[in-house]
Amino acid sequence: MTFVAFIFKNLTQRPIRTALTVLGLSVAVGSMVALMGIAKNFRASQAATFEERRVDLVTLRGGDAIQLTSEVPEWVVREVGTWKEVEAIDAALVDMTEMQIREPRDRDDVPPSKPVVLQAWMPINFGFDDMEVTEGRKLGVADEGKHYAMLGTEFAKSVNKKVGDTVTILQKKFEVVGVFKTSSFYEKGGVLTLLKDYQDLSGRKGVVTGFSLRVRKTTSDPDAEVEAVRQRIMALKSEKGDSLRLTPERPEKYLDNASHLKITAAMAWMVSAIAMLIGVISMLNTMAMSVLERTQEIGILRAIGWPRLRVIQMVIGEALLLALVAAVFGSIGAVGATHLMSLFPQVNTLIEPGIAGSVIVTGTGFALLIGLLGGAYPAYRASRLLPTEALRHD
Amino acid sequence: MTNHADYLLYADAVAKRYPDGDVRALNGVTLGVRPGEYVAITGPSGCGKSTLLNVLGVLDLPDAGEVYFKGEPLSKRRDLDTFRARQIGFVFQSFFLMPTLSARENVQVPMFEGPISGRAERTKKANDLLELVGMGHRAGHRPKQLSVGERQRVALARALANDPPLLLADEPTGNLDSANAAKVLDLFSQLQKARGLALIVVTHSDEVAARADRVVRMRDGQIVSDAAPVATTTARTISG
Repeated sequence: MTFVAFIFKNLTQRPIRTALTVLGLSVAVGSMVALMGIAKNFRASQAATFEERRVDLVTLRGGDAIQLTSEVPEWVVREVGTWKEVEAIDAALVDMTEMQIREPRDRDDVPPSKPVVLQAWMPINFGFDDMEVTEGRKLGVADEGKHYAMLGTEFAKSVNKKVGDTVTILQKKFEVVGVFKTSSFYEKGGVLTLLKDYQDLSGRKGVVTGFSLRVRKTTSDPDAEVEAVRQRIMALKSEKGDSLRLTPERPEKYLDNASHLKITAAMAWMVSAIAMLIGVISMLNTMAMSVLERTQEIGILRAIGWPRLRVIQMVIGEALLLALVAAVFGSIGAVGATHLMSLFPQVNTLIEPGIAGSVIVTGTGFALLIGLLGGAYPAYRASRLLPTEALRHD
Repeated sequence: MTNHADYLLYADAVAKRYPDGDVRALNGVTLGVRPGEYVAITGPSGCGKSTLLNVLGVLDLPDAGEVYFKGEPLSKRRDLDTFRARQIGFVFQSFFLMPTLSARENVQVPMFEGPISGRAERTKKANDLLELVGMGHRAGHRPKQLSVGERQRVALARALANDPPLLLADEPTGNLDSANAAKVLDLFSQLQKARGLALIVVTHSDEVAARADRVVRMRDGQIVSDAAPVATTTARTISG
């Protein structure tokens, strides 16, 4: 028998309590892993898109708490697009909107709607270049003013729409001319229309949410070239000479500072911290009860020569083993939960199924920390038990 | 002057007072046990015999006096846990076997602090010890699947796990019927002879005391007699 086998067998002494503790911890660890995984997927999806499109700079208006409220004058995009240092430019007006899935049947009928990330692009956006059209065609310059839309593959599937159907955005019907996919989960799960059409419809004429660009690299120091363009964008002024508060950033830094990613990550961490606290308390309770019930048994182990350290190792080992099992079940549960959520039409275009391996490793680390923190005090108490107490029980 | 090195264990004028109730549990007890000797400690309840066993087994330290092991004062040692694990085997009235472990695994529990480091060696040693106490055929059974007599034999095998030269037993037949008690006592005698074990047994039982080389009788924390047992099984202990 190994010491680990001994620890494992101790946990089978109270199988129902062990199972309930593992269940509780699994829920805590699963919540952590699921939320952190969603936040990570959110960021990873955007990072992958930037990388695929070889974006050098992402520009939004600084100071907006939520990036969806950022407004950059469209003339800035057109001017920057003419600079010889700029190889290609891509601008978007991004909105989170409710889309009606079908037409109302009568005046009193309220058709079901679905939240969707809507992007309105300029026809010259380089985002069109890496787009894979699975049905129909891409939007082009000639489509401006016609209220045409392309649907991401995931969104088209979730609302059961195809080329030739219509979707209603802000009470305006858009005809679906194409279905597409890109590396971005949020583009695949979203709707794309042309900038001018959506600016008119949303009353945000002449503005975009932001733009990204590729810098033309001609020297051996591309970083300096990107930095020069960044400085030049920052120096842009309005016609009245006021600052435009533009904040061009490298994609990695943009992702670090992006408020929606920060909010998502902060929520994930906050819920994780609460889950961890509950986990520690649960573990503390379980192990304290376990030690209390085994006063005599632990005293006998001390009597037959186990030193305090061995008793500490035993109790901490039991807590860590519980935490490890909970991490396995919690991680499986979290992966399952994201897949399950992706089946619900309300959220299936917002939550990418699957959890990154690094998140599972982090979740397992947290679980082990729960085991360590929750097991520490009971282990200390157990190590202080006197063998004579056990013999007195006899 | 007494040469402590002549004894395996020597308690020299040990005293122990419990703060609750200001009880003098031991009051200057001096007792020597030679290698291979079988000593029974008897006396009425509360006379201090279990306290003496705790002090002799280094489970508790005396307030005064000293306990010597092979002439070495134990109060100077810092590794008393390891000392207990390797030099002393304990047998308890209630066996105290781990309920989730098989007999074979229970025997291995003290070995984590013993000289054997490999899993295979521990298993072999446990099997050998179970054979020694006649429990080889029940090695895979858990305590609740064993009779009380069998449990005590497994507990005895566990006490021998690290080949200690000294065995301390507190009422080892207290929970056994007469047939099982006789079997356990026979085992004690065999082990004492075969392995040269020193045995110190706290007991109320005349039968247990009758098998000892010496019977130490205690009263009020002191030894009142220390002599060979009466040669018949009807020998009586001092009762309170």
